[in-house]
Amino acid sequence: MRRTALALVAAALFGLTACGTSEPTASDTPSNAAAQPVSVTDARNKKVDLKAPAAKVVALEWNAVESLVSLGVMPVGVADTKGYTNWVTAEKLDASVKDVGTRGESSVDAIVALNPDLVITTTDEAANNIAQLEKAAPVLVIRGSDAKNPIGQMKTNLDLIAQAVGKTEQAKQLTADFDKKLAEGKQKIADAGKAGSGFMMADGWKQGSTITVRMFTNGSMLGAISTELGLKNGWTGAGDKDYGLAQTDLEGLTKLPDGEFLYIANKNDGGDVFGGDLAGNAIWKNLPFVKAGNVHRLPDGIWMFGGPKSAGQFVDAAVQAVTS
Amino acid sequence: MTAPAPEAETLRQPVRRIQVAGLFGAAAALIVVLAAVHLTQGTSSVGAGDLIRLVFGQGTDNAANVLIASRLPRLLAGVLVGIALGVAGAGLQSLARNSLASPDTLGVNAGAYLAVVVVAAFGVPLPVLPAGGVAFLGGLAAAGLVLALSAGGSTGPTRLILAGSAVAMALGGLTTLMLLLFREETVGTFAWGAGTLVQTDLDAVTQMAPVVLLGLVGAFLLAAKLDILTLGDDTASVLGVNVRRTRVLATLATVLLSAAAVTVAGPVGFVGLVAPVLVRLLAPLVPGLLRHRVLLPLSGLTGVLVVLASDVVLRAAFGGQAGVEIPTGIMTMVVGAVVLIWLARRHRDSGPSRAPAGAGSGLRSRRTFWLVTIALAVLLAGAAVGAMLTGDAFLRTGDIVNWVNGNSGRAITYVLDQRFPRVLAALLCGAALAIAGTTVQAVCRNPLAEPGILGITGGAGVGAIGTLILLPSASIWLLSGVAAVAAVITFGLVYLISWRGGLSSDRLVLIGVGVSSAATAIITLLIVATDPWNLSLAMTWLSGSTYGRTLPQIAPVALALFVLTPLIAHLRRDLDLLALDDDVPRILGVRLERTRLLALLAAALLTAAAVSAIGVVGFVGLVAPHAARALIGGRHARILPVAALLGAILVSLADSLGRTVLAPAQIPAGLLTALIGAPYFVYLLWRTRVPTR
Repeated sequence: MRRTALALVAAALFGLTACGTSEPTASDTPSNAAAQPVSVTDARNKKVDLKAPAAKVVALEWNAVESLVSLGVMPVGVADTKGYTNWVTAEKLDASVKDVGTRGESSVDAIVALNPDLVITTTDEAANNIAQLEKAAPVLVIRGSDAKNPIGQMKTNLDLIAQAVGKTEQAKQLTADFDKKLAEGKQKIADAGKAGSGFMMADGWKQGSTITVRMFTNGSMLGAISTELGLKNGWTGAGDKDYGLAQTDLEGLTKLPDGEFLYIANKNDGGDVFGGDLAGNAIWKNLPFVKAGNVHRLPDGIWMFGGPKSAGQFVDAAVQAVTS
Repeated sequence: MTAPAPEAETLRQPVRRIQVAGLFGAAAALIVVLAAVHLTQGTSSVGAGDLIRLVFGQGTDNAANVLIASRLPRLLAGVLVGIALGVAGAGLQSLARNSLASPDTLGVNAGAYLAVVVVAAFGVPLPVLPAGGVAFLGGLAAAGLVLALSAGGSTGPTRLILAGSAVAMALGGLTTLMLLLFREETVGTFAWGAGTLVQTDLDAVTQMAPVVLLGLVGAFLLAAKLDILTLGDDTASVLGVNVRRTRVLATLATVLLSAAAVTVAGPVGFVGLVAPVLVRLLAPLVPGLLRHRVLLPLSGLTGVLVVLASDVVLRAAFGGQAGVEIPTGIMTMVVGAVVLIWLARRHRDSGPSRAPAGAGSGLRSRRTFWLVTIALAVLLAGAAVGAMLTGDAFLRTGDIVNWVNGNSGRAITYVLDQRFPRVLAALLCGAALAIAGTTVQAVCRNPLAEPGILGITGGAGVGAIGTLILLPSASIWLLSGVAAVAAVITFGLVYLISWRGGLSSDRLVLIGVGVSSAATAIITLLIVATDPWNLSLAMTWLSGSTYGRTLPQIAPVALALFVLTPLIAHLRRDLDLLALDDDVPRILGVRLERTRLLALLAAALLTAAAVSAIGVVGFVGLVAPHAARALIGGRHARILPVAALLGAILVSLADSLGRTVLAPAQIPAGLLTALIGAPYFVYLLWRTRVPTR
């Protein structure tokens, strides 16, 4: 019996070692040797040193993905490509972009298989996940958003990414375009005599008969942009410290004053809470802005936490909604 | 069978109509008061004054709208859920002849909830009524399984509770998996999963009300037969009751009620347990209270009281906004856990719930032991190598050889560098949990005990996630330290509460189940209250994951194994004796309590180290020692190494599968151990069930 067992062990070990390898053992060749080294200090206050501007980039949060594409760098890998396509229309992904798993727990295997020069993620990612990724490739960590200064944070993120991929000129241009768009939007709203009028920005979802409403405070990017456009946020409650989002129920909406109620829904991902489910609801029907017909569904696919292109889409949609 | 004698005795007493009517009146009055307070609470500024003006026809439209579209639906949802769960709980307790039965402990809620989440995940926009049908089928399947496993609950409460928790855990694992994989589609379902009363319209309530009514009518029609059933199946048959038909019909009615409640508000925890228990408390004072035509409606009213009181207290204490953010079910779950613990403390040890100690534990030869050990070691090596090879990218063994020799290419090096700590984490945590489980089972003398069921894992989880929330950058040593302290405190609590002139292992397990429910509620509360948008954090901590582990994070587990394994190994003979009974070790001069505490402390520390490394992973500590006993007999000198090997293999296998099956999406290992472990546990219960006559 024992001899059989030993034979089994031997056979198993033999089987395990005799399968060959997946790659030549030679180490990788240095690429792009002529390019200048890059050094960026990221949101963790950590210096990320690259031999050259990153060309093959994997991005694990959609705002980074969008910024990369805007800067002219198509990422090689993105977390949840299907979700990105549903929710972010500002910049399209090439069909060749690989899905590297979910946004919360991306697949390190998939990332490494792409052999990236740089991985971009946000401070929402757990520190140990980042530490893990850092063994695979340099990791640039951006702060998802900062409720104290959401627009500034968006620009900071764009700049960080631009430095890492060597596209600072393009970033300047994008920022300038966005600022111009913002100023023009503000002008249009002033011209329409809507300056100083109220707005509310929300999204929401339904489970059973329970509708959860998520309000965008001035600490959210879209809330801040609307304020920049010369509008006044009707929701005064506090939100979370990063994304500036507040949770409420339908009853909580009765606190809202009159104004333009903007909301985002997505036909590919759940229904339209404000336009559909609430149609017959007594509270909803009698809210001042609903009575006045000031409820606007923004076009699908404006990413609420995105980069300058998404923000620009929002400016257009908001101006259109408010001035129409 | 637990003796139904005292209850049958009270049943024969005549119904004191006036006292019973008084009780109903008091309950109704209390409900009216609570309902009035309930209506004044909410997120808008509409308060009591506005509502009173409204009554006198002077109110604003705003107040009227808030009342009609938000406050009333919430109140009615609470009433409906309370009645449904209260009656369902009372019915199930009678069916199982067991005061610990409830829609939660029988897995009905978990089954119904899973069904609802699956429907949501696949984006099928079902209206409320069919969704309720799906929930009904899910709940029915779960209840059927649990009742079958515990022989209808007549074999004693511990088996029932254990079968229920195991099934609920497995279903919960599946639910979490759906939530993880369908993040956008099911957002909002996480908080809802703890049971929330936030309602936006009366749709759910009005559509479910007829279903609840149907269930209530069914239950009341069966009331007289349920009375007779309390006298025992044989007596009931003699008295002309078709026992089987009555049981089936009553089960259908109670499951229908529970499923309707889940459809309206998600699984509101433990109401079905608490409500009938409160009524039974009054039974000695009011004769005739246990007649089902009194017991069922009164339990329903008590259910309403429990739900409304929880909701009122929640919002009075934390403000109207908290009523949106914190699910009502968390409150009822904490209350329910306390009641469960209290009930368990009163529970008299009834013996037969424990599997016969001899089940597969006959002495085996030394040769068998070595053969098994060698075979397992080979398997372990295979699992480890397999784990290094599999994942999103499949490698070959030659890659590992190159990696070990330091001449693998860049990609392979990175892949293996990140896989290595994960594989190691899975192996070490598996071994640690298995050793802890073996120790706990021996000391508790209960083959169904494990660190998870005793609440140790949950306690460690609360400590770890609390630390993470307060100090997001806490080092792994601090995290492990706090988790260890919390685990030991939790365990001490369970131990002390269940100590009543001696340690009854059944009581220990029942109280452990209560404490681990409370721990789960607290973990959910911490996440929902502090970081409601961070689903990944929640899922990882509630289901256990090796994702993103680095070598330093494994250090505490390695240290715990290194220090504590020799200690437990040193106690191996004492464990053999402890597993027999209380007297033999005493006679042989073992200092019973000291050894017991020492062994359990070691088990708690091992568990805490594993939890802080990979989160809450269930079933390993249960399954591994069992399989070990079945393979090589009952001596701990042999069980310990074999169980450790088995545990390491199990977690490693689960981890490899989780990384591979749905790649690039990653499934936490803990979910897969639950999916692998729960059926094995169910099989164990099935095999050791006491055959029904």
